[in-house]
Amino acid sequence: MLKYIFRRILISIPLLLGISFLTFVLIQVTPGNFFDSLKLNPQVSPETIARYEALYHLDKPLLQQYFYWLKNLIKLDFGYSFFYNCPVSSVISGRLFNTFILSLASLIVTWTIAIPLGIWAAVHRNRLTDKILSVFSFAGLSMPSFFLAMLLLFLASQWGGLPLGGMRSANFDDLSDGGKIIDLLAHLVIPTIVISLASIASLQRIMRGNMLECLRQQYVLTARAKGLPEHRVVYVHALRNAVNPLITIFGYHLFDLLSGAALIEIICSWPGLGAVMLTAVRAKDLYLVMASMMMGAVLLLLGNLLSDILLAWSDPRVRYD
Amino acid sequence: MRKINRPHNRQVPRPPKILKQCSFCFCSARKSFAFLLILVFFLSFPSFVFSQEKNPSKYGGQLVLATTSDPRSFNPIVAQETSTTAITSHIFEGLTRTNGVTLKVEPHLAQSWDISPDGLLWTFHLRSGVVWSDGVSFSADDVVFTFNDLIYNEKIPTSARDAFTIDGKIFKVEKIDDLTVKFTLPFKFAPFLRGMSQEILPKHRLERIVQENKFNFALGIDSDLKDIVGTGPYQLTEYLPGQRIILKKNHLYWRKSLEGEQLPFIEKIIYMIVQSQDTLLLKFLDGEVDYCSLRGADYPLLKPEEKKKNFTIYDSGPDFGSNFIVFNQNDGINPKTKKMFVDPKKLSWFANREFRRAVAHAIDKKRIIDIVMNGLGYPQDSAESPSAEFFYNPKVIGYDYDLAKAREILEKSGFTDRNGDGIVEDKNGYRVEFNLYTNSGSTDRVQMAAMIRHDLENLGMKVNLVSIEFNDLVSRLVSTYDWDAVMIGLTGGIEPHFGKNVWASDGQLHVWYPRQEQPQSAWEKRVDDIFNQAVQELDEPKRKVLYDEWQLIVSRELPAIYTVFGANIFAVRNKFENLHPTSFGGAFHNLEEIFIKEEYR
Repeated sequence: MLKYIFRRILISIPLLLGISFLTFVLIQVTPGNFFDSLKLNPQVSPETIARYEALYHLDKPLLQQYFYWLKNLIKLDFGYSFFYNCPVSSVISGRLFNTFILSLASLIVTWTIAIPLGIWAAVHRNRLTDKILSVFSFAGLSMPSFFLAMLLLFLASQWGGLPLGGMRSANFDDLSDGGKIIDLLAHLVIPTIVISLASIASLQRIMRGNMLECLRQQYVLTARAKGLPEHRVVYVHALRNAVNPLITIFGYHLFDLLSGAALIEIICSWPGLGAVMLTAVRAKDLYLVMASMMMGAVLLLLGNLLSDILLAWSDPRVRYD
Repeated sequence: MRKINRPHNRQVPRPPKILKQCSFCFCSARKSFAFLLILVFFLSFPSFVFSQEKNPSKYGGQLVLATTSDPRSFNPIVAQETSTTAITSHIFEGLTRTNGVTLKVEPHLAQSWDISPDGLLWTFHLRSGVVWSDGVSFSADDVVFTFNDLIYNEKIPTSARDAFTIDGKIFKVEKIDDLTVKFTLPFKFAPFLRGMSQEILPKHRLERIVQENKFNFALGIDSDLKDIVGTGPYQLTEYLPGQRIILKKNHLYWRKSLEGEQLPFIEKIIYMIVQSQDTLLLKFLDGEVDYCSLRGADYPLLKPEEKKKNFTIYDSGPDFGSNFIVFNQNDGINPKTKKMFVDPKKLSWFANREFRRAVAHAIDKKRIIDIVMNGLGYPQDSAESPSAEFFYNPKVIGYDYDLAKAREILEKSGFTDRNGDGIVEDKNGYRVEFNLYTNSGSTDRVQMAAMIRHDLENLGMKVNLVSIEFNDLVSRLVSTYDWDAVMIGLTGGIEPHFGKNVWASDGQLHVWYPRQEQPQSAWEKRVDDIFNQAVQELDEPKRKVLYDEWQLIVSRELPAIYTVFGANIFAVRNKFENLHPTSFGGAFHNLEEIFIKEEYR
């Protein structure tokens, strides 16, 4: 197993290089660069723009720029953000934790609600609860998340009780430790609900489908025939098999942990990475985009690896050696 | 030497146009309770910190503002967009500043100035007793350092350098004594005084950083806030990315009110970073934020709440940002493809003034204002905003919505619908069809462009609306010249000369035909002359005559077809006194003098 993990990590190095090169080229071949926005300012001369471009090596050929970036990356220097006039690492580090907290909260909420709901719906197929859950799933899937976020914020402003966006109250620093946690949790409620709802809906459907598939299998019939209690049939025999595809999905969800949800962050004023990265891509803040892409790529590869390992642990048929 | 020495006073401000008279009504029970509280407060602490301050009743309280994006830096030399200057303007100051009400230049860090008869030597007498927020005295060294070592430093990219360079020549800046600085200009430069609002930075803090060649990333958002030292009324005390910025009163601030009170009055300014305007509206209605600038669409939502939620909506008049249509008149040849930048048949339409006049008459500005801006906008005819007041020429040629007249003009120039397909053809029988570009980021502008397309279709033109990313649009406009017509906006200001890059025929932003080696037309030659002459004219009324002529020429020749100005509308909670909102300065241009009513402190 260890050998397998080592091999996977080794393979991911050229993969990451390829991804980085492709991203770098793709950003650069689209017309214009970050400093184009200055070109529409009557008070900025072309010489000044050329100075800005030289400061960030944008006046060099593409390949040279890429190797320059790569060389610095090896020294763990991600370059400077044009937009924020400071190292990319300090832009990201200021927000990484915020994004992580929000994603973790929605990850936990999503999985702890969706999986039991899916099982419940499968076991009680075609009964009233299953039908209600179906309606909920379709509603959850089709409701645009920004609209839901706006709606919840509006309700909060009408009824009070929950903060209207943001991550901390103005008096956060004066609160006791317990008060700080409660304050943070209160701010988490709306964005977490919004992010989780759509994933709960889809995950619940997948879980239900898998579970139904397994419950139809002959080994379940066998288990029932030999007189096993129903809960053992469902939770031990069927569930163990039904959960496999979800482990793969879990790996992909890990990637979401640090990628952030731009739209929700913007509406809920959550100081996360998603909104920053969205602006970076739109403004062509090259090195910031590169850092975010690389972070995403690493997490995706790690998530994949993790789900493969989990799969081997949960399914005795899967072996990698 | 002629001596100009203006006393540091403020003209009586005109009240801004208010949409509806506000009514300051508080229930009397609450008022007396607040009074009681304050009474108790004073009885228990008879010698409170206020003792050194003359009028304790004005001090204290906080102002909560919102900004849609994080500042990009706290370095006013390197970063100059509004998200940055909104913060740095509280921290750093210039030798002069523009009065937010009268729009006149007034003394600030400089107390007075002399000017030599030839207009080339300017001697500034700095205010004595000004200290940086770390206690070190402000002196001529800081001014000389800011210009010679920062702005004119080859290694530092800054647009400030462009503002203080005339025809490639820079100004000579010398220290005479600790409180006197001499500027020697290569040519007469009328906007000089207004430009001297350039922020001065502390030499004692930055000298070493510049020597180590680290200034470009100094005073960034990742720096220690204690290192950001200015002479201004506030100091940074906290910055949480994506959340909030807190500024606290600088107790060493030099300015006093007319009554001799130490300024500023407000203790703390909090900027909440709220990216979504809709969320901001909710926060404003909830009382979390004291100020909110409004889009036309927000007005009907907020207006009915005005009394209940205790705020006032101000309409301070037309904005400075213009929205206009330009046709590509570039008759150059693309060196790569050896073809003309613009299809010759289209070029013949676009270069035809009558064609542009017809378009101008076909645009229904009132409908744009009603639909896009909810009635809160102003039709635009002149290149200057009416809010610029002094330099605005109201007597330019206006283009009212008149479809019949527009058709008539078109027909006279040979554009008629010859084959009855509803689309006009030119003299040579080519269908009039072109692409109208705009940037997709601005929903208002896309909506305006869509309405204009509709208007032009009524005129019989086939217009394809193309909305593209801002960067793409800019590179088309300034480097590849691959476009037919464009709807864009430029920010404006009071000083017409700062738009020279747009109006001079060799300017890079002379959008309809940039970087001409020789002016292509007589009127462009005249506009070049006007700008060159006006910048050297130090007599303001004479300058105005020149800029009036420029606005008239533009309205006659229509290189840019202006549409509408948005109204600068904002809502402010009724907790402030001494508020004098204007379109130029917004609600808080005189922030130091504004104080908070006792019951809100």
